[in-house]
Amino acid sequence: MKKVALLKDPYNLIITGVGGQGNVMASRMLGNALACKGFYITIGETFGVSQRGGSVMSHLRISKKSAWSPQIPSGQADVIVALEPTEAIRVIASYGNPDVTVLSNTRPIYPVGVIAGELKYPGIDEIRAALGGLAGTVMFINATEEAIRLGQPILGNVIMMGAVAGTGLIPFDTDDFCAVMSESMSGDKLASNIEAFERGKTLVRAPKSE
Amino acid sequence: MRAGGPHELLGGVFDRDLCIGCGACVSLCPYFKSYKGKTSMLFPCTRSEGRCFAYCPKIEVDLDDISRAMFGEPYAADSLGRYRSVHIARAGKNVGSGTFQAGGTVSGLVMHALKTGSIDAAVLTGRNGLNPVPAVVTDINEVAKHATSTYTAAPTIAMFNRASQEGYERIGIVVTPCQALALAQIRRNPTNEKNYKDRSALVVGLFCTWSLDYRKFRTLIAEHVGVAAVRKFDLPPPPAEIMEVHTDNGIIEIPLPQVRERVPHSCDYCFDMTAEFADVSVGVLEGRTDMNTLIIRTERGEKAVEEAVRDGYITLGELPAENLDHLRAAAGNKKMRAFKKANDEGLINTPPDKNALFRIPKETIKRI
Amino acid sequence: MSYHTDTNEGAEYLLMGNDAIVRGALEAGVSVASAYPGTPSSEIIENLAKASADRNLYVEWSVNEKVALEVSFAASIAGLRAICAMKQNGVNVASDFLLHVALSGTRGGLVLVHCEDPGALSSINEGESRHFAKMNEVPLLEPGDFQEAKDMTKWAFDLSEELRSIVMMRSVTRLSHASGNVKIGRLPVPKTRAFFSYSGPMLDPETGPVLTMPVPPHHALLQEKIRKAAEIFEDSPFNTYTGPARPELMIITCSACSLYCREAVHLLGAEKRTGILKLGTTWPLPPKLIRKYLSSTDTILFAEEVLPFMEENVKVLASEMASDIGIKKFYGKNDGTIPMINELNPDILVEAIKKILSIDYTAVDPAYAAKAKSFVSSMAPVRDLTFCPGCPHRASFWNIHNALAMDARSGFVCGDIGCYTLGFLPCGFNTMKTSHSMGSGIGIACGFGKLTRFGMDQPILAVCGDSTFFHAAIPALVNAIHTKSDVIFVLLDNSGTAMTGFQPHPGTSFDAMGNGVIQIDPAAICRSMGATVEFADPFDIEATQDSLLRLLEEKGARVLIMRQMCALSPEKKGKKKYDVSVDQAICVGENCGCDRLCTRIFRCPGLVWDFERGAAKIDDVICAGCGVCASICPSGAIKKTEASG
Repeated sequence: MKKVALLKDPYNLIITGVGGQGNVMASRMLGNALACKGFYITIGETFGVSQRGGSVMSHLRISKKSAWSPQIPSGQADVIVALEPTEAIRVIASYGNPDVTVLSNTRPIYPVGVIAGELKYPGIDEIRAALGGLAGTVMFINATEEAIRLGQPILGNVIMMGAVAGTGLIPFDTDDFCAVMSESMSGDKLASNIEAFERGKTLVRAPKSE
Repeated sequence: MRAGGPHELLGGVFDRDLCIGCGACVSLCPYFKSYKGKTSMLFPCTRSEGRCFAYCPKIEVDLDDISRAMFGEPYAADSLGRYRSVHIARAGKNVGSGTFQAGGTVSGLVMHALKTGSIDAAVLTGRNGLNPVPAVVTDINEVAKHATSTYTAAPTIAMFNRASQEGYERIGIVVTPCQALALAQIRRNPTNEKNYKDRSALVVGLFCTWSLDYRKFRTLIAEHVGVAAVRKFDLPPPPAEIMEVHTDNGIIEIPLPQVRERVPHSCDYCFDMTAEFADVSVGVLEGRTDMNTLIIRTERGEKAVEEAVRDGYITLGELPAENLDHLRAAAGNKKMRAFKKANDEGLINTPPDKNALFRIPKETIKRI
Repeated sequence: MSYHTDTNEGAEYLLMGNDAIVRGALEAGVSVASAYPGTPSSEIIENLAKASADRNLYVEWSVNEKVALEVSFAASIAGLRAICAMKQNGVNVASDFLLHVALSGTRGGLVLVHCEDPGALSSINEGESRHFAKMNEVPLLEPGDFQEAKDMTKWAFDLSEELRSIVMMRSVTRLSHASGNVKIGRLPVPKTRAFFSYSGPMLDPETGPVLTMPVPPHHALLQEKIRKAAEIFEDSPFNTYTGPARPELMIITCSACSLYCREAVHLLGAEKRTGILKLGTTWPLPPKLIRKYLSSTDTILFAEEVLPFMEENVKVLASEMASDIGIKKFYGKNDGTIPMINELNPDILVEAIKKILSIDYTAVDPAYAAKAKSFVSSMAPVRDLTFCPGCPHRASFWNIHNALAMDARSGFVCGDIGCYTLGFLPCGFNTMKTSHSMGSGIGIACGFGKLTRFGMDQPILAVCGDSTFFHAAIPALVNAIHTKSDVIFVLLDNSGTAMTGFQPHPGTSFDAMGNGVIQIDPAAICRSMGATVEFADPFDIEATQDSLLRLLEEKGARVLIMRQMCALSPEKKGKKKYDVSVDQAICVGENCGCDRLCTRIFRCPGLVWDFERGAAKIDDVICAGCGVCASICPSGAIKKTEASG
């Protein structure tokens, strides 16, 4: 299952979500894991005011050859990981193509405009249909629900990263995750992260996960 | 009666500079607030119909509807409105001495009503410096503290709204004519509120020719005296063209034209001098600063007066015919001026695409 | 192992641009670092502070950028190496001192790193501070990738010492906050002995007093340094060329744009037709190098962010050389090929190159793009910026807004830079009506407050954060008090530099390295100036509004300190003061008497609208437990109880 070669060079992955969802942590973790395996990694990310309710997006470029632009060109994403479903739509519109793989969390985070009654938030079926019409493969994962089930809602991003590993699209698996995470944590905390990661992997393999 | 919401209220009242700050729209919701005599809207509200619009005495006031609800009859063309009897009156022996504006009739009526329990609270308007401050009074000894005229427009109805929410069942309230009109609209439950209950038990109206804008008045007073020293204001009857300001250092006179410049635009459209929609209306008796003119308008007003007389809280006398004539003339003049101005500006019976200030049959206007 | 302390030369790390700069400074043996926080520069000082114990550094968050540069400069003329970091507009603040530093010269290597923000991703301007290098006659470097960011930083110190001049180095958000692979170098033993020699001859750069006077000889010396810099830059390894010897199109670029150019050329398959000259030394330009590459082609495209700094400077050289190199066709900002606003990206370069070289290329099938865009407009509701759940600024602006609305004299708020800048948006109830540089809210308000003689009777408020107060508000407040200006100065004291990540400031009790320091009390400062100072807790809605309404009636300069700690501050984050809940049976909802005040107007993200029940509810995961919504609910449906844990 473990691949050393890239399907494409550079291979472009976008992690998107809303401020506070652990987007930056996920991209750094993945980037570090792959950098340790000898890849050139470029991560472009926007933070600052994004903490205050805005959309957050990390661009990850994986290459055997060199560093690339921290901004992926239009239409060049290979994988889009969305920690929030409408963010997947926003990202696919700029960076998607008919072959892109989308992994999306199902749990919505409503923008204030929606809470205020000024904007409409689509139903999950509408989102499913929209993404289905634009992407090569779409996988929906109840990452937040699973994380709550594990007793740690904050680990939704780790479950999503497990799902990414589960797809086998990039050379990244549990060993790589453990290696990176054990540099900053240990004990129970590390164990629960690994558990969440493993859970994420199974959600992609399970036939009903779509 | 036409329904509307805050949007229409902003366009039809605030933008036309007709808001008098009576407080009818205040304390019902978080949007309208009253401060220093001015009502402001803090945030936009999206409702197309609301109590703010329905209660406001400055938009879509259907005088026949209101009159029918209150007196069972359409609006009268009489310069004093509908009434049962007119008297002269003053406080009775059981009212202690205090700073009354004139004869103390209002204090007598309110104190008596509180004493007998015919009202469980009185909504009165006192003042803090020059700022009119409405208050809920339940202690009979507190009544006199709120007995002097403020001359500045006050959000008294806001306090009525609050007292209603706080659960008072029989509220006595002392109001100006515009406030009486607002209250008359509230009492009709125009928005068909579930569980609505008329919590007013006695509405005492005050005669009013105009009020004053608080900030502008304060500036004027500050120019002449200085705010802290003021005890009481008085307007001696014509031909004296002055306002008397009673201060710690004696009486200071301000020329009336200077005062009139501080009258809100809205008062130019007021047709009511004698608080036609109150249970009883009280004013100064011409030529006698220690007596009042008292107009009894409703059955419950009549009852309140009779009982107050019986218990020695007010005494009555006969109003000289000459005084009544003068009163009619003054009230009639105000009414005519207001209706003419409103009519000329298209604010009466305005076509349906816009909101009117008043609605009233054409024949009634002619008779006036 | 942390990259700060790793002595394993050649080891590779995935580093943020700012971390690469940090490592470069450590490899240069830097001893002193100073800065005022500002995105995207803040991580430089934060990470140098982490290394301070191991590497024996002195690191400070200074009160503002000018003082930061003065602090670093002192280290330089005491013979140490020093680095000073700031965001683009910080250079404007430091520029007065920068002019004089250029003239007086330096001793130990002194590097000013300015991290700029093309596109204003986290700024309220996209200012260009490169012009300060030219204006003040200071060498300017611009790294083009992550490895360069480290290597160039290290070299900048050598260059500074060789020239005896401060060196400016410009980064941008897409480098500072992006990450890439960086091979680390050797960590030296830093020089630790500081001594200021001043007894030598007047003009002696090593032993004399350090002054700008007499000016003409100092200025002549400065210009000699710039000539020497140009010479050094001729052979700099940071100016690189990739492409054929005689390209059809020569792209001259710098900074992160060089990565966009490479990407665009790659996408278009134009490697054989296009050359990329990436300049790392953008002021002064090395004329021989420029001549060489201009001679190799007739068509040139400039790719840089934001203003045509490099473009115009190359064009000056090109016109001087025209008789030798011939007339060139230039594409860039001046002819509109490249926008003069906003950040660049690979797509902008693709469009520019394909037009110049007549290449047929479509990034995305137009039908696909149109379909995708229509989904965005119909299904991806915009995420407006808002204050965090439990943010004191929401409550502060609520109180200010309501007091001004009740006061009904068209009062308004002047603000400046910080989280509270969002006060102009619906999350701040659109209360803030001016926003400019640090501390300018009170300065502008002071001016407004003197316009009463011209009939201005609107109440005027200024707001500013606690860190901004020390940075630049004090002189303006002095002015307001001194001139008896009719203003209310509201200090939004949330106990830290929240916007950029809780860096300490003079009002906090610890410094960048975590040591105890003297805490300066803003209230005491205001009082000592003669202002009356009042305090309010913005979470106490009624009391705060009463204070504001009362102050609005008064004259002269009035100070109100609204004190409530930031919801994300380390002391407060994750700790709920109240458990908040909604009694949906009491909630008036959309009906007359409420019309969804909490979710429609107050808009704390912790409040959500239960569409099924037509009532508000609390999102327990998001709610910070401040309890303010319970105070604003008109029906008493929102309940708060003291949190148990």
